[in-house]
Amino acid sequence: MTLDTFLDGTAAVFMVVGGLMSLAAGIGLLRFPDLHSRMHAATKPQVLGLLMLVLAAAIMWRSWAWVPIAILAWGLMLLTAPVSAHVVGRAGYRTKHMRADLLADDELAAAVDRLSRQRGIRREVKD
Amino acid sequence: MTMLDWAYWITQFFLALGALCAVYRVYKGPSVLDRVISVDVILIIVGSVMLVDMAYHRHTDFILFVVVTAVIGFLGAVAIARYVVVRTPESEDTVRQAEAQAAALSGGAADEPEIPAGQSPAGSAQEDESTSWFAALARSGFAPKRKNDAEHDAAAEADSAGSTSEPGIPHPRRDTSEGGSA
Repeated sequence: MTLDTFLDGTAAVFMVVGGLMSLAAGIGLLRFPDLHSRMHAATKPQVLGLLMLVLAAAIMWRSWAWVPIAILAWGLMLLTAPVSAHVVGRAGYRTKHMRADLLADDELAAAVDRLSRQRGIRREVKD
Repeated sequence: MTMLDWAYWITQFFLALGALCAVYRVYKGPSVLDRVISVDVILIIVGSVMLVDMAYHRHTDFILFVVVTAVIGFLGAVAIARYVVVRTPESEDTVRQAEAQAAALSGGAADEPEIPAGQSPAGSAQEDESTSWFAALARSGFAPKRKNDAEHDAAAEADSAGSTSEPGIPHPRRDTSEGGSA
């Protein structure tokens, strides 16, 4: 077993794992009942799936020249995925796009209730 | 076929299946937020297909697209999430009533669907799912007024706290808005 076949096998395993992440995201989007559980499924290919595919590509290229670009792509995704997930999740909570009966514990409800009872505190972010 | 060929085709099959599921969620999704996250997933899957192709054929032609993908989906989600309409229990009730009426119409027209007292029977009979949001909007009154009231309150407090340059301006606005809601 030479080094080339070993690296090819590693890249193949990484590729299939990355594809499985996207498949899991699709099945989760299809099967899950409400917005926040679908968001949980949708973030799978954003971080781990993209990391696996970037690693597979970097291994297959056999060169260090493009690795910084690949790390940049993954790092940008790692930076922006929490922001978009936070914004979408917050909008979904505020506009009641969720199944409150499926939640085990709603810790945000107490804070929202307390803030809404105080006078003078804006519940919405000022534009 | 070597092991890498198998991995390539299996991965492309998985990615295509995931993209199909996401496309179905975009088509079916009950709210715009579901569609936003599904479109995000589709965009990432397209980038993943390009990454797999780059890894298999050992070229770097599409790497810029993968970098740009990380930014595009983020911008779209943030831009759309600002403009989500609040899902009120009233609109949910109207949707449920419209669905019940549609089921009654399609199933058997013999039993008349029960109509709540607040609705006119002629208007609610023609109500379907695609237009029920407008009926709910017309029935519930003007929703964004609350925010305007809060802004006017803040403006009035600022005016009363500071030197009242034009004290007559905020109060007629509040009167008209309250008259509109009554």
